Amino acid sequence: MSSRRSYLIRRVIHGVMALFIIATLLFFLFRLGLPDPTAALITEGLNPEERERIRASFGLDRPIWVQYFIYLGNVLQGDFGYSFHYRAPVADIIWERLGNTMILMLPAIVLAYAVGAPLGAWLSWRRGSRADTSGIFVGLMFRSAPMFWTGMIAILVFSIGLGWLPTSGMRTLPYNASGFFDKIFTLDFLHHLILPALIVALYYLGSPLLIMRNTMLEVYGEDFIEMARAKGLPERRILYAHAARNALLPVVTQLAVTIGLAAGGQVVVEVVFSWPGLGREILNSVRTSDFPLAQASFLVMAAFVITLNLLVDVLYTLLDPRVSFK
Amino acid sequence: MIYRRKNRIGKSPSAKKLWFAMASVGLASIALSATAQEPLPSITLTTTTESYDPIRYEAAFIVAERWRELGFDVNVAPTEFSTALERFYDQQDFDVTILGWSGRTDRLDPQFFLSTLDSREAYLGGNNPGGYANSDFDELFDAQSQEFDLDERQQIVMQMQELYKSDIPVVVLFHRDEVVAFNHEAFGGFNPMAGEGLYSEWGPMEAVAEGERKTLRIGGPQEPDNLNPLSSTSVWGWKWMRLYYDRLVRLSADVEPLPWAAESVDQVDDTTIAVTLREGMTFHDGEAVTAEDVAFTYNYYLDQQYGYFSSYLSVLDNAEPIDELTVHFHLKEPSASFASISLSQIPILPEHIWSEIEDASALSPSDTPTIGSGPFKYERFDRGEFMAISKFEDHFHADEIDIDGVEFIIYADMEGVYTGLQTGQIDVTAWRMEPGQISLAEGEEHLTVVNVPDFGYFHMTYNTQREPFDDRAVRRALTMATDRERMVNVLLDGRGEVGSSIIAPVNTFWHESFVERFDFDMEAARAELEEAGYSWDSDGRIVR
Repeated sequence: MSSRRSYLIRRVIHGVMALFIIATLLFFLFRLGLPDPTAALITEGLNPEERERIRASFGLDRPIWVQYFIYLGNVLQGDFGYSFHYRAPVADIIWERLGNTMILMLPAIVLAYAVGAPLGAWLSWRRGSRADTSGIFVGLMFRSAPMFWTGMIAILVFSIGLGWLPTSGMRTLPYNASGFFDKIFTLDFLHHLILPALIVALYYLGSPLLIMRNTMLEVYGEDFIEMARAKGLPERRILYAHAARNALLPVVTQLAVTIGLAAGGQVVVEVVFSWPGLGREILNSVRTSDFPLAQASFLVMAAFVITLNLLVDVLYTLLDPRVSFK
Repeated sequence: MIYRRKNRIGKSPSAKKLWFAMASVGLASIALSATAQEPLPSITLTTTTESYDPIRYEAAFIVAERWRELGFDVNVAPTEFSTALERFYDQQDFDVTILGWSGRTDRLDPQFFLSTLDSREAYLGGNNPGGYANSDFDELFDAQSQEFDLDERQQIVMQMQELYKSDIPVVVLFHRDEVVAFNHEAFGGFNPMAGEGLYSEWGPMEAVAEGERKTLRIGGPQEPDNLNPLSSTSVWGWKWMRLYYDRLVRLSADVEPLPWAAESVDQVDDTTIAVTLREGMTFHDGEAVTAEDVAFTYNYYLDQQYGYFSSYLSVLDNAEPIDELTVHFHLKEPSASFASISLSQIPILPEHIWSEIEDASALSPSDTPTIGSGPFKYERFDRGEFMAISKFEDHFHADEIDIDGVEFIIYADMEGVYTGLQTGQIDVTAWRMEPGQISLAEGEEHLTVVNVPDFGYFHMTYNTQREPFDDRAVRRALTMATDRERMVNVLLDGRGEVGSSIIAPVNTFWHESFVERFDFDMEAARAELEEAGYSWDSDGRIVR
């Protein structure tokens, strides 16, 4: 037990250090790489003194090192600052957008893995058959088809052509709901969710499908499968109870990484379906040199990936007793 | 420079000798140049990236191709937009740059565009990065900005355009039509406004419902940065706020200043303007709109140093309430544009709400007041999704307004906006359609496509502080070798107008249409250069 605790503590320390390095890199990357946030104001006719005043109100008139330490201090206290562009607290913007993104991505990813993993197992069982070949083909096709294209085709067919589903957004206008949960616990929201979630799910389907199928093929060669066969267990039971459980590990890793990266949203899907998610916001923040918003968005994404990776490593020990903490 | 300094550090004596030898050769060649001819420095033509704006990107190549034909060495440098702005305005580090000015309503008054050629705007970060300096122009600029007589002022503005045109420090490439569309089965009655399209401040006031729904739905890919009247720095913030904040004066579709919340605007003396308010106006919370509110607003704007309005207010010293309905504006110097432009841009804020706010720019969105006295009332703004306003029944103009309110749907891009228009989700596009969508829209039975000329322009600015653009003849020749006709025909598909002056042809009152236009003419360009003493070497490169 103590080895488990010290392992966890070590991993958490590593995670925090990684976040610190990422925060530092982001800070300097944006400041050195992106143009001045007030540059775009020139076309609005603002003169240099006015722009200087705005820069000062952003704290950009101070030396970069001072800015850096202020930034670190604020982040440590959980304060992400004020967005330059929206003049609103960054945290408010990110939480709202992150919620919108996750409510789209999570169901889509869960769907993809819930269908993809068993399907991959089944395909491995029927390896070489026509079902196997076409399953791999379909999985790969959606994985490689650009989502703006599949999305547009889906809108064209199901929204414009058949008129079954809405073309964009999260809800029908006009609406009154303002809270997050008021917004998502409605049939109207589900109606809007179907198409983008399906497109994302189809895109992700290929990974669990192929990983599961290939790992299963490896597992089939193991002695314990031979043993199960020798015991005369039904093929279906060998497949799902014995082989699949052992083939699940790489799929779980992949799932965690996918969910972690999903925090950043799928910009393309968010644009095609005008979904007000974090991906669009990140793109915008880079475009407008909104340093606080851009830094915080990427930091949140990094935190997601790191946390989920840690979580998976812990989960491993439960799924597979052969893995232990060292 | 960096190269040389590095080379010199720690060099052996022999290297020093080599340097000396090279320097002598350099000196000798300079001495010789009195007789021998030298090629002109190569030209870097900065433009936007293809993904930011394919039109300006392609335009640069059309320019470069002909300039090369003329014997110049030209590099096209597509540059990320904000970086291009920074180099152009803040650093003035460019040879020739293609950028643009948007046509904001207040720029229909010639003041702003003329100021972009004033030598006093040539400082780093100023509006005249090309550094054009002509003292006659500057003098006339001052004269027109203080001339109250419209016809007199028109004469001066014409003169200024003549001056600029023959010197051609900035080439106006073209004015691009804004092509927008609306669903005529749902709404009608629109009068498109130059530079504004259908989503003008008049649009919602003029719209007439043709179908059942009385709520006008507008869709666009842009949204306000925020709705704080003392901190928003985007056109999209103000396009929305001006619907629920009233102004003393509103500009008509022909840019005629119409008294609006003002009953009358009178000049008391050279530096005093008196405004009498309409009787019986109220804010959306029921409080009366008084001279105190108006004077407070203007003084508050001065006090809070709101950059976005500073050009309108720079001439104002203070505003003073005289009685319940009269306000006097005391100016620092006579100004022709204050009564027409400034009064039409500043919203009227309720004193009882804003007087308690010390630093308005620090307000967070949830604390920002939204009470105005305009023809519509603020309802909501959900970032990235939706905005709404409803008709204010107690407004003096309410009887003329047919619709119940406006809903603005925010899409991620124009593709989404067009799909919304096509499927009847929205009635009007807030922003110009993409070329591919125009022909599609024309094929739709329920849509009307509208071409709206723009008075904003895309320009190509020469750095007049650099060789060879310090020579007027070179600028003239390069302009003659710029095929603007082709840009409009090919790049804009004919939807636009070749530029001829910084004051657009659609701005009929101020535009000077008789002076030279620099039509595309390679022969004339060569002749211009030859006359100024340039010639071509055996490889066809231009030399002097």
